[in-house]
Amino acid sequence: MAFEKFFEDWLERRLPRVERIRLGRRSIFTFPSRAGLFFLLVLALLWLLAINYENNVVFFFAALLGAVFVVTILHGYSNVAGVTLRILAVDSGFPGESLRVDIELSHDGKRHRDDIKLYFPGTTPQQVSLAKGTDSTVASLYVRAKRRGRLRPGRLTVESVYPLGLIRIWSHVRLDGWGAVYPRPGAGASHADGGGAESGAVQSEVAGTEDFAGLEPYRQGEAWNRIAWKQVARGQGVYTKHFVDPAAEPQWLDWAHFPDLDRESRLSRLCGAVLEADMAGRDYGLKLPGESSALGQGEAHRTRLLRMLALFECEDQEAG
Amino acid sequence: MAAPWQISRAGALWLVVAFAVCIAPLAAYLPLWVPGVAALAALWRLGIHSGRWGAPGWGLKAALALVCVAGLVLSFRRLQGLEPMVSLLVCAFSLKLLEMRQRRDALVVIFLGYFVAIVLALFDQGMLVALYILAAMVVVSASLVGLHQSAAQHSYRRPLRTALYIFLPALPLAIVFFLVMPRLGPLWGVPAPGVAVTGMSDSLRLGQVASLSGSSAIAFRAEFEGEVPPREQRYWRGVTLSHFDGESWERAAWWSAQRGIRWTGDERRDDPDTATALDYRVILEKTGGTWLYSLAYPQALTANTGVAQDFTLVSRSPVTRRTEYQVRSFPDRHVDRDGLGALQRRVETQLPENSNPRTRRLAAAWAAETPEPRALIERLLRHYHRGFSYTLTPPSLGQHAVDDFLFSSRAGFCEHFAASFVFFMRAAGVPARIVGGYQGGELDEAGNYLVVRQYDAHAWAEVWLEGEGWARVDPTAAVAPERILSNLLSMMSADVVFANSPLDLARFQGVPLINQLRLRMERLEYQWARWVLGYDTEQSNVLARLLGGLDPLRIATFVLLASALCLAPVLFAMYPGRRRGKHVGDQLYAEFCARLARAGCERARGEGPRDFAARASRNFPADAAAINSIRDAYLALRYGPGSGDVAHLRRLVKGFRV
Repeated sequence: MAFEKFFEDWLERRLPRVERIRLGRRSIFTFPSRAGLFFLLVLALLWLLAINYENNVVFFFAALLGAVFVVTILHGYSNVAGVTLRILAVDSGFPGESLRVDIELSHDGKRHRDDIKLYFPGTTPQQVSLAKGTDSTVASLYVRAKRRGRLRPGRLTVESVYPLGLIRIWSHVRLDGWGAVYPRPGAGASHADGGGAESGAVQSEVAGTEDFAGLEPYRQGEAWNRIAWKQVARGQGVYTKHFVDPAAEPQWLDWAHFPDLDRESRLSRLCGAVLEADMAGRDYGLKLPGESSALGQGEAHRTRLLRMLALFECEDQEAG
Repeated sequence: MAAPWQISRAGALWLVVAFAVCIAPLAAYLPLWVPGVAALAALWRLGIHSGRWGAPGWGLKAALALVCVAGLVLSFRRLQGLEPMVSLLVCAFSLKLLEMRQRRDALVVIFLGYFVAIVLALFDQGMLVALYILAAMVVVSASLVGLHQSAAQHSYRRPLRTALYIFLPALPLAIVFFLVMPRLGPLWGVPAPGVAVTGMSDSLRLGQVASLSGSSAIAFRAEFEGEVPPREQRYWRGVTLSHFDGESWERAAWWSAQRGIRWTGDERRDDPDTATALDYRVILEKTGGTWLYSLAYPQALTANTGVAQDFTLVSRSPVTRRTEYQVRSFPDRHVDRDGLGALQRRVETQLPENSNPRTRRLAAAWAAETPEPRALIERLLRHYHRGFSYTLTPPSLGQHAVDDFLFSSRAGFCEHFAASFVFFMRAAGVPARIVGGYQGGELDEAGNYLVVRQYDAHAWAEVWLEGEGWARVDPTAAVAPERILSNLLSMMSADVVFANSPLDLARFQGVPLINQLRLRMERLEYQWARWVLGYDTEQSNVLARLLGGLDPLRIATFVLLASALCLAPVLFAMYPGRRRGKHVGDQLYAEFCARLARAGCERARGEGPRDFAARASRNFPADAAAINSIRDAYLALRYGPGSGDVAHLRRLVKGFRV
């Protein structure tokens, strides 16, 4: 454990969080893979064979395999070195969901890069390659969101054993980029303890399509299907029919409505309330200590509010 | 996208190719069923690859494993020796190929492949074989690259190209390792390959040497420090055959005993009574026996060689691979001049009781008429000269072979003459023995060395004479002196000599081009044998000459510098550079712009490729088509979907002239 801590600290100093990183000498580590160690075992056997049979041809080929081993270190290194990585986007979502992280790999297109594996701690590795002449490619990884807050996907492992599988070339990079994890939706506003959220006190009306409100003289540009043909036929002049919706008074979802709860429970209830209000289809807004949103509705509005909830006095969290 | 643990298609195909390449040459050394099992496995793999067949069920796999075990037991009975071990290795290789499903299995197959490819060198260390192994290793590596190729970048050709890029710098690096790696003696005894003895053996039945004559394979090479002795002096002694049981001549049990051998470094060295000495080095091909070839009479100079009591050169262990040794011979020396011991005299005059009665009677009669051994030899040689003929296809002989030869067939080759001569001399009471070895050898004009081939195999006699010791008598020379003065080929027609090897290159000695090619190949093989196979003995010399000393610091510096030199081109080609490099497409486009700028049409700052191309086309209407196609290729590469075609753009730009 102490060693792991030490290693973490050392890595943190060597490869701190950056927006983008171009892999190079500082960031790349090299060690024989398991297959490489097995290869060295084969090499040792061949060497014994050469010694015991005093066979110089076998000796030479054992030396050649050794040289191949050395050369593949360089090949493996250059397969990874020069790749620039950055996080394009991280999805937002609720706890328990797998959020997509898009990582962009770009290079100068001078060489072919193959069999690069990317993974965050605990995620399924994704194999990517960069063809000669291409500029970049995007790999998508999925990380599991646990708690409300800012989700950082953690250290990304970039790993490759190309071309012969003998040498593992890898890097652990910490890329800047996060996704918002919303609170777990709670019971919602209808069971709020405080007042204020009761509906139906004064109803204002807005023009709509639901209830018939009366006839008004025709104005140029009104739709033909609104024209009250009955009145036209009676010779009473041209009128159009007008309707109203029962409006929906703007609803404020307020931190202060849940006085007896702790922070996370309040946020959870507010989250449920946002989803309910969104379903109800009226304007709503959110008031949190020190910040409040505008009134509004629709998907963008909902997302904005959910993000407010997600990031309110939040802690960063890392996946894995 | 394929999961990373699966075997990619290119990997699987290259694996089958590598498998075939590794096993094919071993077929010559293993029982026929072994390559049979391998071929079945390879074909099945191809079937799986093309999607025609499924993976074999456990029943089939068990049946194949059973075939392998049964085959091994029936062919070898016990699992000692190199052939059984290699057969086992090949069986494991085949079965593993058949049952592999994951990348991990494929890795095991590939590492076995490296091993199997290299094991071939235990059977044959020739230069061409080494080149073949090198090619096989490149193919095995290609399959390893193919295995790690992602499905998105699938290509059948790229793995081979990548493998070549790996081996190119690895070769000089391997030579550096090879030069400096310390050579240790064998750590433990190992089973040697069972050599099917080509060349002469240590027994003689009439009719055996004839089968050697048909081969132009090299028996050994000899490099002289001074003048090469003339052809008629070049009798390369291998074994002496003193024991005759009525059918075949064998070495006397007495000689093969180790205790009479004077090994190098032995204090019982006898100093020769003559000054003329020949110094030479012999590179002997494997024989499977312990005898070595030398001119009369040798002094052993190389460790683990010695001189037996019959003054033949011997090796402590059987010669199962190409071996090099140094000898000094004293051609004018007399051996056993002071007389033979009682036991030795009995051995050298021994004859079975009732064999060849007519020869015995004739010998007794002649001995009575000519008691002086020298005169008797003369008389017998004259007898051969008058009524006998030399042929490589003699009629078959009956139970009393010497009788049949001397009195009825009267035609044969060296061993008939040697065996009948020795029998006759012994019957007349003169100690005599057959010597088996080679006579002559082809002198290479460029190198100062002799090539002795299997068709130079020869048998002659040695007779012990009072006051002189052992003297060489070659009865074949009495019948066919041209056999001694030129080689067998120039004496007989090639059709007779190579009756059973129609494609032997030596057959075409009359065709200058082929002959030249053959001689050049052999010279290369010689250098190979001398410098690569015999490097153990040369290592300290070579290194000392190369580095001017052998201290560890010097060697370490050499290794580091030489390795850096070998790897520098790779580093140069691959190092990504300090700053973010310009995209290769942009580089090419810049080159294109520079060409136009030189022609007077400079791209303005911020001018887009489309606008620039339009302007350039207006300036150079004749090149409009080329300019537009470069524009399109560049835009497709940089801004188009998918992976662009760099090579296409490069071709266009490089070919662009205003």
